[in-house]
This record gives sequence, structure tokens and C-alpha cells, in this order.
Amino acid sequence: MPKPPPGLSERDFQAALRALEGVVGREWLFATDEDVLLYRDGYSPLWGEAEERFASAAVAPSSVEQVQGIVKIANQYSLPLYPISTGRNLTYGGAAPAYSGSVVVDLKRMNRILDVSARDKTCLVEPGVSYFDLYRHLRTNKIPLWIDTADPGWGGLMGNALDRGGGYTDIEFRDHFDAHCGMEVVLPTGEVVRTGMGASPQAKTWQLFKYGLGPWVDGIFSQSNFGIVTKMGFWLMEEPEAALQVSVTVPKRRDVVPLVDTLHSLMCAHTVPSQVTVASPVMAGNNPELVRLRGSGGASDADWDRFAAGAGGAPFWAAQFVYYGSSKVIAAQWEHTKDRLSSIAGVGFRETASYTFPLSDEQAEAVADKARYGIPSLNLFGSRTAPGAPPLEGHMDFSPMIPPHGEALIALSDYTGKVYADQGFPPSFVAGMMFHPRTMICFHAVPTFRNAADNARTRKLFETLVRGCAERGWPIYRIHPVFHKLGMEMFSAGDGSLHRLHETLKDAIDPNGIVSPGRYDIWPRRLRGTRA
Amino acid sequence: MRLIGLGLVLIAGAAAAQEAPFPIAAWSRTKAAVETEGSATERGAAVFNNWCSACHSRGPQNAPGTTSLQAKYQGSVPAALEDRRDLTPDLVKFFVRNGVAMMAPLRKTEVSDADLEALAAYLTRSRQ
Repeated sequence: MPKPPPGLSERDFQAALRALEGVVGREWLFATDEDVLLYRDGYSPLWGEAEERFASAAVAPSSVEQVQGIVKIANQYSLPLYPISTGRNLTYGGAAPAYSGSVVVDLKRMNRILDVSARDKTCLVEPGVSYFDLYRHLRTNKIPLWIDTADPGWGGLMGNALDRGGGYTDIEFRDHFDAHCGMEVVLPTGEVVRTGMGASPQAKTWQLFKYGLGPWVDGIFSQSNFGIVTKMGFWLMEEPEAALQVSVTVPKRRDVVPLVDTLHSLMCAHTVPSQVTVASPVMAGNNPELVRLRGSGGASDADWDRFAAGAGGAPFWAAQFVYYGSSKVIAAQWEHTKDRLSSIAGVGFRETASYTFPLSDEQAEAVADKARYGIPSLNLFGSRTAPGAPPLEGHMDFSPMIPPHGEALIALSDYTGKVYADQGFPPSFVAGMMFHPRTMICFHAVPTFRNAADNARTRKLFETLVRGCAERGWPIYRIHPVFHKLGMEMFSAGDGSLHRLHETLKDAIDPNGIVSPGRYDIWPRRLRGTRA
Repeated sequence: MRLIGLGLVLIAGAAAAQEAPFPIAAWSRTKAAVETEGSATERGAAVFNNWCSACHSRGPQNAPGTTSLQAKYQGSVPAALEDRRDLTPDLVKFFVRNGVAMMAPLRKTEVSDADLEALAAYLTRSRQ
């Protein structure tokens, strides 16, 4: 049988489980080893080790009232809870709790699409609604709205937004937390709060105006443990008339500076609407000289350009992005983009895909970069399957944020490549992804394994990257729960005053410390110092 | 860019439509609700469409699981699970509840035990 949470007797734990069963029914309380293991993080960097994070049980409510009932019992027994929505936050912890012994509150059964307004271009959903679910609803009902999906479509709108994930379409929608409008939260006391205009009982604008009246509190429910969010509104993108996907290439390594500066300027001017990925076709591959350069920690531009010249003449950098709108406007935006970039010697422009909407089912199926058009899939996993090679067992996303500057992309690539090489890993190569309007994220998929020896190496690599990048001004924006403490240590200004504020809020909002202890290193008073 | 030939997709879609008891919406590869009526095999097809096909449809486009199994078995067994004739109910249940490699297990709030029985019946229908 699973172990009870630390500090809770077996007798009280069993009493708490019986009470939870009374709320949700026998079918939806999971307390056997076999069932609880379904909540294990398959990508855990602590797989099979004593410190791996395990749930003690899971409970799956179907309504807000049942969530309130669970919270009431948790307060009675000081039972730590760990709410998940679809439980697919893989690479950032999956369905496993941050604190071993927590009871997972699996909200997947709360999967209703409560409202979609074609006129207002909004929706209101429950936690278990996946990107697949909402996309299917819009297609089935021929509602001309797009979702903005995370890479794996089995994730959920709410969970991804609350962990501040992102997608690929227009700037108004691809920062998923920023695209939300109004939420309903069961507080750790059991009280239900609606934020923004939702707090005004007769308001017609809950999903239309974010702020309501008074302090805007929505932000404290993201990357935190201050409540269980049970409803969330989102703004949706009106289906455009057309889209044009393009590639801009530049030949030399240092060309990335004017390339990124110009694309950032165009993004800020709303000429380039989509996420922009700036990658290096030259730096990808396993050529021994290439691997040596990537791990050198500072090969010169001349060294790199010499290598590129001898490697078949591929452009050093390629930027991909998409225009959405009327065909005439897109043509003008593309022409303006080319004008702005034409001063870079050797710049190349290519149209890689174009669509007019709506797409037929077959056309949508054939779209290559589906997420750029709000089409959910699991195709991302395909990119990790090399024919003939054993599949990866898992990975964690290492996601440092840098300014939208080519120099920073080069400096980060030099630094991280050498860290990988020094620690015996294949040196990384870097893409800069402009999800947000003023930064680039440089994702690394740091591999995880199903054995302790390899995971010890990967944890050392991960910690070195987190610390080293933060010291250079590139802290992460999101991190796996095993490293929440490390991540928050990178935000230590004022002798950790931000973290102290988080825990001051925790004590006020969750006096018994029942919701997600340890998530983003926010601990309730009764467990402070545990930091398990 | 991974441009996909539309013709190949239509061919794969046609093959699926001939065999599957329910028409599969090509745009999502999923069905909204698992059917509660019909035979276990029919319900299993709905479970497959809803939970498995986004990775394990006949593909190879939009089917990373099928691609992975092709890489693993090199054609010694069919890469698409719906074409396998050697699966057993216990094997299907094992992988759904344990996952493998990058595939995380599916919880009972996603695929219930009853759904899993139906799925196992569907993927082993050639043995029945």
C-alpha cells in the first residue's frame, strides 16, 4: 500500500481516504499501489531513487462541490493535496506531486466546455479539457475560432496556462496565461472565488475584461499553490482568411544580430504576428568537427563561417514564422519584411506553406507544422524518434530566457555547448524561440533515464546549466518540480525577498498548508524547513 | 519543414475508414465520447480513436508512435497497432497502464478499466 503523507498516522490517513471516498464514490478514489503508480512522473530525473516524488493516493472529483468537499477533509486531517488538470505536464513533472505523500486531486473528469462564444471569441472551460477536446468542439460545431495549442495536444488549456506555457499563433493568444480572462478558484479554505468581472454576480463580461475591480489577483494562482482553479476563460483567435509560412535565411554566424533585431522590431510593430523560431541549420548534426566547435565554448565567427562554407553552403541561420490575415495584408506584410531585412548580405526569402481557411479535414490533416495553425497533435514526439536508434526514455525542458538579441543567442550557445561537452554529453545546439514579445526562450531537452547513474549525471548537468545561465543573466521561466527550490534560488534578489513574499501569502491563504506543498518552493509554515 | 504529401494522407485515411467500425474524423484522429453501446470491439475502436490514434494511427504522417515502432521492428511486425496480429489483451493493458519510452501511462480517469477491456478486445480482434 502507498505510504501516508509524512506526519500523518496510518489510522488518520485511512480515515481521510474513507472520507474522500464518501465525497467522490469508491470508483474515483485510487489508493492501491497499482493505481497510484499511474500518477508517477515517467520522465522523473529521480526515477527509482528514494527521493522520487510519489503520491499517496489520488482522488478524482467531478464538480466544484466535490473539490470543496475534498478541501474540507484535507484541512481536517492536514492532508497535502496536489491538483492536476490533464496530468500531461511532462518534462515539468507530469502528474506526480512536488511533495511525496500528497494526494493527487485529478481534475480530468471535470472536462466540460462550459461556453464558447463565436461572437465574442471566448471560451470558458473546466480543468480536464484538453486541446484536442476544444479543437474538436470548434470543428464539430463549425465555429470559426482557433485555439492556440501547446506542442502536445493532449495537454489542457488550464494546466498549461497556469504553468505559463506557450504556443505558436498570434501574440494575443500564444502566451497562454496572458490569453486567459477570468477564473474560478476553490481556495484552500474551501471558499470559492471568481476573479475579474466574475466577482460581479450579474456581469456580462467575465470572459471579456480581465481586471474587474480592485487588485488583479489572477497571477498568484499561476506557478503556485494558492488554490485549486476549477474554471478558466480564454480569448480565442478568429479564424483568418489565409496564412503564409515563410523562412528567412542569412549566411553568416554574426548575421543573427541584425536578423533578430529586425524580426523583433517587426514583431513589436505587429507586422510579424506569430511565434518566431531562429535556428541554425549549420550547427545541427553529428559531424566530429561540428561537435568539437559546439563544445569549444567560444569558437570564433571566422571558425564557424569556415566550417559552414565547407559544409555544403547551408545558411547559418533560418527564421520561421507565419502571417495570418487577409491575403492582401499578408502580401504587404511579407514585402515589408523583405524590405526591412534586405540590407543583410546574402539574405534569402522563401515561402514554405500557404493556406486559405477553413481547411477541409484532409487539408488540416496534411498541415505539417500543425501547432502554428492551432491544430493539436502529438507530432512533437515524432521528432524524438530517430529511425534505428533506441527511443529516449524522457527529458526535462531546460528553458532559459534571453533578451531578443543575436549576441545573447550566440553567447548562450557557446556557454551551454561547453557545459554539455565538459560533462560528457553531446554538446547542445540552440534555437531561439520568440514566444513572448520581448524575450527569446532557448529550450534544451535534457535527457532523463530509467537508471540512477545516468540520472545523477543529468541532474548535475541540469543544475550547472540553471546556475550558470542565471549567473550570466539568463534565468529559466519554468522548471521541473524536482528543481523548484533550485529555480527559485535564481530569483534571490533582496536576500530572497520574493520567495518570502510567496510564503507570506501562503500562510495567509492556506493556513493549514494543504494545497501543493513545495510547488515552486512555496512551503506552508508547518512544513517549512522540510523542503523535501 | 516537414511537408507532407496530401495523397499519402488520403490513402492512409481511406485504409482506416474501410476497417474501422466508426468513421474517423481525419482532422483530429479522435472521437469526442467513447461509445457506451455496441460490441466491445466497436467500443474499443472508439477508445483507440480517442486516446491512441494521435500517435498510433497507420500513418506514417501524424503518427509518431507508429514511426517509432517501425524504427524498432524494422517491418518484422506491422508498425501500426491496428494491423498487428500478435497482440494479446494483457500486453495491450500492460503498455496502456505502464507506458514505454516517451509514452506516459494512461490513468483511469482517462482510460477506465472498462474502456481498457474494450480497447484490448479491439486490438486483438484478429485472434477472436
